[in-house]
Amino acid sequence: MKLTKAVAAAAVLAIGATAVGAEGANIFVIGGKPDDPFWSRVKKGAEDAGVVAESQGGSVTWLGPQNYDNLGPDAAELIRQAIDQGADAIVGPNWVPEAMDPAFEAVVAAGIPLVIYNAGGIEAADRLGAMNYVGAVDYKSGYAGGEYLAEAGHTNGACVNTLPGAANIEAFCNGFNDGMTENGGTGSVLQLPATAFGDSTAVAQAVRAHLLQNPDINAMFAIGDQDTNATISGVQQAGKTGSVHVCGMNFNDSILANIQQGTQACAIDQQGYQQGFFAVSILNNHVVYGTTIPTREILTGPGVVDASNVDLVIAGVEAGAR
Amino acid sequence: MSTQSQTAAKRSSPGALARRPETGALIGFVVVFAFFAALGGPVFMGAPGWSSWLNIAAEVGIIALPVGLLMISGEFDISVGSIVPASSMMTAMLAGHYDLPALAAICGGLAVGLAVGFVNGLLVTRTTIPSLIVTIGVMFAVMGLTLGFAVLIKGSTSVSYVPTPMAKALLGQFINNMFNVAILWWLGFAAVFFCVLHISPIGNWIFAIGGDRESARNAGIPTSRVTIGLFMASGFCAAFVGVVQVMTYQQAQVAGGQSFIFNSIMCVVIGGVLLTGGSGSILGILLGTMTFAVVNQGVFFAALDPNVGSIIVGALLLAAVLSNDTFRTLALSAAAKKT
Repeated sequence: MKLTKAVAAAAVLAIGATAVGAEGANIFVIGGKPDDPFWSRVKKGAEDAGVVAESQGGSVTWLGPQNYDNLGPDAAELIRQAIDQGADAIVGPNWVPEAMDPAFEAVVAAGIPLVIYNAGGIEAADRLGAMNYVGAVDYKSGYAGGEYLAEAGHTNGACVNTLPGAANIEAFCNGFNDGMTENGGTGSVLQLPATAFGDSTAVAQAVRAHLLQNPDINAMFAIGDQDTNATISGVQQAGKTGSVHVCGMNFNDSILANIQQGTQACAIDQQGYQQGFFAVSILNNHVVYGTTIPTREILTGPGVVDASNVDLVIAGVEAGAR
Repeated sequence: MSTQSQTAAKRSSPGALARRPETGALIGFVVVFAFFAALGGPVFMGAPGWSSWLNIAAEVGIIALPVGLLMISGEFDISVGSIVPASSMMTAMLAGHYDLPALAAICGGLAVGLAVGFVNGLLVTRTTIPSLIVTIGVMFAVMGLTLGFAVLIKGSTSVSYVPTPMAKALLGQFINNMFNVAILWWLGFAAVFFCVLHISPIGNWIFAIGGDRESARNAGIPTSRVTIGLFMASGFCAAFVGVVQVMTYQQAQVAGGQSFIFNSIMCVVIGGVLLTGGSGSILGILLGTMTFAVVNQGVFFAALDPNVGSIIVGALLLAAVLSNDTFRTLALSAAAKKT
């Protein structure tokens, strides 16, 4: 008797829960480690958009891996977790297509609206049947860096890759090398072991060793705040400040200070806040009101930050949006 | 074990040399260095090459020294991986966000390490949980606290700080634009730990605790105090590296530092410290650290695929453990023959 009552109560609760869920959209966002400086901005964008979802009775849940040692399979696992937890909509980056595509296909097969963001491009969204792609195109971001440096006359470039095998990092480096070669220069890639990721000293010393072994290099491209700062330090330690010019993806306070002082040539901005914000907004409005965005491929970058516009960007940082 | 390594130190016959804990490490270092010197050419052999691997060795070496002492006493410390970013965040936050004087910020950063080490020591000595598990738990707790406070106070996961010229000169400078001043600190720490382990009576206590904790306690050694002290030392050294990183790279990030966990353990094991405790030496730990650093940097000078470096480090680790066992058997059988 007691047992049936308990079951009945549970059933009522479950019905209640679905009823609430139907009102708002429970959106799951798969992203980077929450303590990764870039991803904390994406997360802030997603959560700011989530304020609207919460006011309608929905929610935004951030799922990020503990580390990047096993990125593809870990991220695929997070996507499946989101499905299992009854997501009404899912946002995810297509970092490692081989490992993550089957999980994304499962999202679409379950009838859950999907937006690909940050990595993969509109090709991934089309292939997987996702609604849209929100983000910078990695290749174009890398290309912008290569083009900027080559046009400034620094024509022998090397791209620092601390996560070999990740599709987006390789696209950055390919774009950088193409941006170099199509503007009259040459490009190469400095591959680091995955254990160097997040270890500034290891990256700095690798950059320095590479520059000493290859004295012709006069331009470098690094991906992410930390690698960029480490690359600048490696250039300094190689005694090449002023002769090797560095562009990096993303920025933080010290990178903006370096651009102001002239120790860094440029930063390529993909505006992570926008990626989180728009991906969540598109899905929330779609689930709650059935709206769509006919524009395919919402580009949030690349934008070049250099000495000419760095002061404006610093104002944006102080406002908390960049 | 302690008496064995000390009597061996007083004799100088080749047999005694072969039984010293750092012999394997010395052979490993010579082989690896010769290998990369042959491939890396004059740049690797010159000052740029030396400073390159010494800079790597200094940071991991400062942490490997106390981690080695802990391992000799039979304990692990995984939490160093989270103390590095925690202390750099504390230092950058105090100096860069609250504008306190550099000295206060540095003391604050180091205090984080001492405090975490104290908690580690207390938990290990007051409970029966193995130190491996205790320090993994503490590591995650510290990681969470670092992230939480950084986002709460600064609203961001990185804090930048431009150090004062004095702080930069002492902790984050590159001598001759190449040699990180941390190398000198590393040698200083090595001298202090050498005195502790091989000259002061505490050294014998550490060996005794690693050999058999119960007997050590029965012999009147204050085992809990020694263990807590060692954990505080490793916390302090990890925090010191965190401070050095702020002064060198002018910013603190809540992530990073995790590579120090396995790297420090590898340096120690390649250096001939017995994983189960009771045997090891400072010289061995220094050699192990240098070997590790040469492999890590050598691959870039030799233009090898960096993953080859990881393979070599892995192989070295296994070889070190194997040769430790061999030397230990040798030592025991030689000692048995004399009677």
